[in-house]
Amino acid sequence: MKLLVCVKQTPDSTVRVKVAGDGRSIDASQITWAISPYDEYAVELALERKDADPSTTVAVVTVGPTRSRDALRQALAMGCDEAILVTGAAAESLDGLAVARALAKVVEEAKPALVLCGRQASDDDQGLVGQALAETLGWPHVSTITKFRPADAGPAGSVDGIDVWREVEGGHEVWRTSGPVVLTVQKSEKEPRYPSLPGIMKAKKKEIPEKDASSLGVDAGGAKLEIVKMEPPPARGGGKIVKDGDMKQTAAELVRLLREEAKIL
Amino acid sequence: MKVWSIVERGTAPAAKGGGDADRREERAQRRVSLEIAAKAKELGESKALEVTGLERYSALPVVGAIAAKAKAESPDLILVAATPTGRDLAARLAARLGWAYASEASGIAIEGGAATITRTMYAGKVRAAVRASLPAVVSVRPGAFTLPSGAAEPAVESIPADAGAEKLAFQRFEPTAAASGRIPLAEARVVVSGGRGLRGPENWKMVEELADLLGAALGASRAVTDAGWRPNEEQVGQTGRTVTPDLYIALGISGAIQHLAGMTSSKVIVAVNKDPEADIFKVADYGVVGDLFEFLPAFTEEVKKAKASA
Ligand SMILES: Cc1cc2nc3c(=O)[nH]c(=O)nc-3n(C[C@H](O)[C@H](O)[C@H](O)COP(=O)(O)OP(=O)(O)OC[C@H]3O[C@@H](n4cnc5c(N)ncnc54)[C@H](O)[C@@H]3O)c2cc1C
Ligand SMILES: Nc1ncnc2c1ncn2[C@@H]1O[C@H](COP(=O)(O)O)[C@@H](O)[C@H]1O
Repeated sequence: MKLLVCVKQTPDSTVRVKVAGDGRSIDASQITWAISPYDEYAVELALERKDADPSTTVAVVTVGPTRSRDALRQALAMGCDEAILVTGAAAESLDGLAVARALAKVVEEAKPALVLCGRQASDDDQGLVGQALAETLGWPHVSTITKFRPADAGPAGSVDGIDVWREVEGGHEVWRTSGPVVLTVQKSEKEPRYPSLPGIMKAKKKEIPEKDASSLGVDAGGAKLEIVKMEPPPARGGGKIVKDGDMKQTAAELVRLLREEAKIL
Repeated sequence: MKVWSIVERGTAPAAKGGGDADRREERAQRRVSLEIAAKAKELGESKALEVTGLERYSALPVVGAIAAKAKAESPDLILVAATPTGRDLAARLAARLGWAYASEASGIAIEGGAATITRTMYAGKVRAAVRASLPAVVSVRPGAFTLPSGAAEPAVESIPADAGAEKLAFQRFEPTAAASGRIPLAEARVVVSGGRGLRGPENWKMVEELADLLGAALGASRAVTDAGWRPNEEQVGQTGRTVTPDLYIALGISGAIQHLAGMTSSKVIVAVNKDPEADIFKVADYGVVGDLFEFLPAFTEEVKKAKASA
């Protein structure tokens, strides 16, 4: 089975993101980049399938500026087999629907049995591309999954579809799909693996073919969403901090404050 | 301006077990549906729609039904609650229609044939205003718009699900053993969250007691969900849920940047931590430096007293 994982390179989760001088983008100078966290879970889920069945191959794809190559290297070092970079001027200004169209072209060429995306990218926080990719391909999708595996093998060992665990309030729904599907990943059961040293060496030698976004027939024009303004979230802090008090008194005082000052209890 | 709102019909309680928890979930869903219906009314000529005939939400039959109606009647804006189900539906619907999409809006203004939407980006670390061309689909953060008092129940138009569009087969529901059975995090007005400072799952009884008193949802740090002390769906933060309740109580949570990303937009934050340097205090409105095992029982007692005298 061939799996394709769509990853986006976003600011590392520990980075403090600052708004740039133009007030409508972020200051990229201080940023370390990484695979977006949900996408890292998606890579992990795909690699777990490969651990279980070594005939599985895992490809990763990203649409973005050339620095995104590092995210692909990281995925290769974790154990993915091949990587595809879709780049070029058009790739940098695409909106979600256009990204999905570019990814659909890659899917049509690579012909994976299923595609994994993250639940949402940790830069635009949209949660659109997975669903939009499925829509473009005419495939079903299942979102916020934590697990998938081939459905119980038939008598001849044939795989009859894929079972998918979707996280919902209070538990998981298990859905079965018989054809190709796009899955958006909430979390993997195990933490995403670290690249191994041999993995890193191997990844360095791998060729990462590059495709130009415009050559896939996707253009940057007509974005339906435009950022008008960015600002840091309202400052917090300066709260009332109680130290070393008698906990009974402190508790009573806090209840009073929540009622009378914050008017919340 | 024609503005539609979609009334969420999650899983029919009967399909899950039909306990109190499911009814609570239903009530919470009703409230968010009312919130967005009221917003739709404020923005223009409104209509509230629900898709019926499914025991359990699935994207294709629901999207098929709404998209067909939208193509026939051309609304300018469709509002969907940004619950996990709502976000799934809204994204696929926007893609189906080829419309602009913005998720988790906390503000919407219509000007000059476009919608200006307030939302967070960069895992909650940046606030942004984005312009979406119309028509558009927007998912709206639960609780972002307070319900006008005395808001009338909207007349809801029911449309049947497009059953023929289904490509997936539901197999079964697997309940999480430790699931709280409380109202869903995304919709809760009060959240009581526990971190590694609670030392182990056996200590959640204390947290649950307080949560029940406050009608709160339970939250957790990732240290807690990763350790398997609490189910993953309770995780708050960058890789968990984003919550914006009126009151967020953080017990034994250090306040790592990824946790803060999911809760700093709460109206009032209370933090209890024995380490005075803990980062959680940087965002807290009220902080208690001390041992939560001493504080929590005392606090629960005081809340009980306050409730009794109210
Ligand atoms: C990519 C990525 C994504 C992440 N996403 C998330 C996320 O979504 N949500 C999230 O929460 N984390 C997330 N994390 C993890 C995050 O970095 C922290 O590791 C985690 O939040 C720590 O959880 P904690 O505060 O419970 O534990 P700790 O950091 O161990 O803090 C425990 C706290 O309890 C206090 N304490 C101990 N005993 C007591 C006591 N008796 N009384 C009072 N206080 C006490 C301690 O002083 C300490 O501050 C993510 C990390 C990465 C790398
Ligand atoms: N530029 C991109 N390249 C590859 N995958 C992407 C890209 N943008 C989004 N995705 C995938 O789609 C998911 C949802 O992204 P978004 O809709 O931007 O929140 C991400 O977690 C990725 O898996």
